[in-house]
Amino acid sequence: MIYEIRQRTSYVYGSLVPFSRHLLRLTPVSRPGQKVHSRRLTIDPLPSERTDRLDFFGNRVTHIAIENPHQFLEVLTTATIEADPGSPPDPAASPPWELAAEAALSLPASDGSAPAHHLYPSRHVTLHPAILDYAAVSFPPGRPVLQAGIELVERIKQDFLYDPASTDVLTPVETAFAMRRGVCQDFAHIVLSGLRALGLAAAYASGYLRTEPPPGQPRLEGVDAMHAWALVWCGPELGWQGLDPTNGRRTDTDHIILAFGRDYADVSPIDGVIVAEGGHALRTAVDVIPISATSV
Amino acid sequence: MTIVSGMFRPDLGPEVSALTAGYQLFSGVYDEMMDADGGIRPHWRAFLETLAGIGTQEPAARFAAADRHLEEAGVVYRLYGAPGAGERPWRLSPLPLILPPEEWKILEAGMLQRAALLEALLADCYGSCRLTAEGALPPALLAGSPDYLRPLVGVLPPSGRHLALYAADLVRSPSGEWRVLRDRTQAPAGLGYALENRVALARALPELFGAFAVERLAPFLDAFRSWLARLRQPGDAGIFVLTPGPFNETWFEHASLARYLGMQLVEGQDLTVRHGALYLKTVSGLVPVRVLWRRIDGAFADPLELESRSELGIPGLVEALRQGALDVANAAGSGLGEATALLGFLPALAPRLTGAPLILPNIATWWCGQKREREYVEVNAASLAIVRAFRPQPLMRRGPEGEGPILALQLPEDERAILLANIRRRGMDYAGQELITLGTMPAWREGRLEPRPFILRLFAAATSGGFTVMPGGLAFVGDEGALPGPSAFSLSIQKGARTADVWVLSPGGGSGRGAEDHSAPEAKPLPQKASGLLPSRAADNLFWLGRYTERAEAVLRLVRALAQRLTHGAGSVTPEAAGTADLLFKWGAAPAAFGVEGLAAAAGTALANAGWQGSAAAVVRAAREAALPIRNRLPPDTGHAWEELEAEICAPADPGVHALAAKANRMLRTLAAISGFQAETMHRLAGWPFLECGRRLERAIAVCRFVRQFAPEGGVSPAVAALLLELTGSQPALRPGPALDGAAPILALVLMEKGNPRALAFQVERISELAGLLTPEGVGSPAVAGAAADVAAAFHSLDAGNVNPQALLAIENQLMRLSSEICANYFSVREVLAPSSTLRRKAP
Repeated sequence: MIYEIRQRTSYVYGSLVPFSRHLLRLTPVSRPGQKVHSRRLTIDPLPSERTDRLDFFGNRVTHIAIENPHQFLEVLTTATIEADPGSPPDPAASPPWELAAEAALSLPASDGSAPAHHLYPSRHVTLHPAILDYAAVSFPPGRPVLQAGIELVERIKQDFLYDPASTDVLTPVETAFAMRRGVCQDFAHIVLSGLRALGLAAAYASGYLRTEPPPGQPRLEGVDAMHAWALVWCGPELGWQGLDPTNGRRTDTDHIILAFGRDYADVSPIDGVIVAEGGHALRTAVDVIPISATSV
Repeated sequence: MTIVSGMFRPDLGPEVSALTAGYQLFSGVYDEMMDADGGIRPHWRAFLETLAGIGTQEPAARFAAADRHLEEAGVVYRLYGAPGAGERPWRLSPLPLILPPEEWKILEAGMLQRAALLEALLADCYGSCRLTAEGALPPALLAGSPDYLRPLVGVLPPSGRHLALYAADLVRSPSGEWRVLRDRTQAPAGLGYALENRVALARALPELFGAFAVERLAPFLDAFRSWLARLRQPGDAGIFVLTPGPFNETWFEHASLARYLGMQLVEGQDLTVRHGALYLKTVSGLVPVRVLWRRIDGAFADPLELESRSELGIPGLVEALRQGALDVANAAGSGLGEATALLGFLPALAPRLTGAPLILPNIATWWCGQKREREYVEVNAASLAIVRAFRPQPLMRRGPEGEGPILALQLPEDERAILLANIRRRGMDYAGQELITLGTMPAWREGRLEPRPFILRLFAAATSGGFTVMPGGLAFVGDEGALPGPSAFSLSIQKGARTADVWVLSPGGGSGRGAEDHSAPEAKPLPQKASGLLPSRAADNLFWLGRYTERAEAVLRLVRALAQRLTHGAGSVTPEAAGTADLLFKWGAAPAAFGVEGLAAAAGTALANAGWQGSAAAVVRAAREAALPIRNRLPPDTGHAWEELEAEICAPADPGVHALAAKANRMLRTLAAISGFQAETMHRLAGWPFLECGRRLERAIAVCRFVRQFAPEGGVSPAVAALLLELTGSQPALRPGPALDGAAPILALVLMEKGNPRALAFQVERISELAGLLTPEGVGSPAVAGAAADVAAAFHSLDAGNVNPQALLAIENQLMRLSSEICANYFSVREVLAPSSTLRRKAP
């Protein structure tokens, strides 16, 4: 499956900003299961400093500074990406979850995709007895890890209400859990919190999801936005496997990864500092436009 | 418990015996001074004899003098958390820890080895990662440390070194061997306090320093400074100490070490990254910074790429490090070396990384992230301390997981079961450590010596060839008797420990070095580099301190005038009282009120109710807040005076306007003292023009405002004349001779007379002079110079014989504009974190 992705991200400042510095994680890279054919990042106004590099987790990060007074920042991402995750492994044949947990601790790999980095609590993924107890229901002793993980996200789809008004980016994971409400980011964090409390390695992915338009209608610009989901490490052979709690299923060719990390903080599309003389309201608008989705 | 006491020893003499009588050793504990048979260890004998020789009463007086010295020098330690939070004088345990040369040789060699070991470990973990790849170190051990800073992986410091300063906390085991309790690689504290302890003790006991060859601390500090100086690059502005600011527990140490070592103290807000390089924001522009001695945690050094909640760091610093633009000492990720679980691996890593087994072993530690170690800890939980594997951090709270170590043995059955279940599920969060017993050293207690548990902190600094160890250190001495087991973990200054000086005796012994070398060798700070650098933030605070100081005076004068006028008139409000109150209302010092009683209440509010932002209480608080971040630039006495002023405001007041007027009067006197300190003791280069300019500007505004309020059209009754003299503080300027009669002479006195330091003319003249002198280079901003010229022009068009509100208002407006121009041209604006972007999926 080949996708063309177009994402416009813009900040509008309340007043003239004399200096700003931002980290952009808005450029997709090739990874296992996806190949980037072409990509472009356009920044307006033109930054006075710009460096591009791969971060610890393998994401492409663009560091920019703008020295001239400006009132907005607009970043346009365009990319052509081929998604080919291969045939999905049989969940029942995955190793018992306890073995996957033990292997995550002992695997001698230390790069950003090594399971070791995804075992611990992180900025947005704190551990809580209530979430552990909820997750543990799907993890009886000896159960294959992927099977248990799929059941966990199916239960979240069933038990939780998708409600954009209920949370914001900074809502703590335990609050969203207690409300049984939230959006993809909250659900992904809840899954990570449950899996890590069990001792498993679990990672966060942000990216895009193809959404089917209603029958007979054209795809509408702006319907889609960024999506987020979880990955669980299933042992050295199966490695990372995607779990989408928002949709209650495994990830597949519909999922394109933009950035990968321990939680939202590692993949946040834009982080920045601005020189501001008082309270400044920031606005963000996002459009993700899959222009075509052709089978190959 | 007690097995041995000090006993009369004929060979020691009666005075020494009296000192050590009742010195009761604890069973199974090594004591520094007394051996298990009750004999005095040889290296303590001469010390005790000299101490006893001073007399029986004298030592107590000397030790009290040492405490006083520390207090007067302003040595403080800030306590966290209410109640009782705030600053506390540094507490010295006056008896030093004495280390003989042969013992020091082992400690020194052991420190050199551990420093090299941790340096090599950090270099690997942030560099080639061979230790993890080859299985010598589990990746999950690095990954679990909150101080493993991933953005710095692959970033090599230009100096090639991660540790500029290393420290270790050591304990004396019952068998007499030293063991390391923990390593300090983040930003080791205590060097400044060690220095202060030495100075205080050297003053209190010059005889002792004369009698012993105690190794000096100064050469070590010189070596440390030389190392940092080596990292400098042509064109930079010196070495900078990055502090979290005055609210940090050890801010005093940061300031005193910066002064001693001739470095400049800065906060994150003082610095900025531009084009991949670090700069200091000064009133004269951006100045390059190439060496930063970091006293904040590495994770807080850059809110953009590291801990985003940090307000202490510099956005973009990691990018500057990546570009190799500067050296941060210690390197930003060096805190990794402090991970508790790492202690379980150092014994095995030492031969590989340093070619020899550990000379100074650490306490035995088992990280439960490994199957075998976890099982060992589970089986032996009863005889171990269970600790956090990395450092105190939020973990899942279930069961007995408070702060600090857990003794499984002391837990109720059910809680122990929960703890063990937690360890089985997430062993990587835990480590088991052997229980340790602290050794004891003598402490002074009411004229006698008593054994107290202690921990020894030693320091090592980088040199071009490796490291050098400070011959001395800091001993943390417990207030209570020796506690076995986990007491070692809780002995900290936050919990009330005192500290003692550490004496390393020179080989050769005797009194080889002569008293003059030791009388106060460290007391003479090296001259600070004459630096004209004035950080923008310091200038900002100085300017506003000046304005708030003057504004406080103006409000207090108004309150006093109002209170006095309410005491005169029986039941009626004079126009002068009403006008005074009106101005207080307009300044937001109190809510509008009417009638004698209403105005009396308003006067009380305007003085003491900080809830009104124009009140004297609120303005004094604002002045103190401006003074706090720059207190190392201000005369120490002004700090005490501001405290007195605030205490005066808060003190419960007697009822009645008489008492109120008296209180305002007392406060005005304290304020006058502050002005005196500022005028007479501040160095004229250290930003003083900003303070002075702020004062003159505010005073000029007040004079205009007073005249505009009470003599808008130039008419002045005798009552108004008296009021104007009082408010402007111009009574002393009245020349002897006939009383001033009529409006013109009064207005000329408060507005036009250049000889009257309270007159508008005087302020305007000073402002004109100062506007060109604000930067250390004396090159002013054209915009500021222009605004100052406009102030002068507006003043010159004022006619004392024909005063009108428009003319006064025009001057006030020009003064305000000048203030805005100064702020815009010299003070920097802060870089704030943009709210996290809210990119979220709209529909599933």
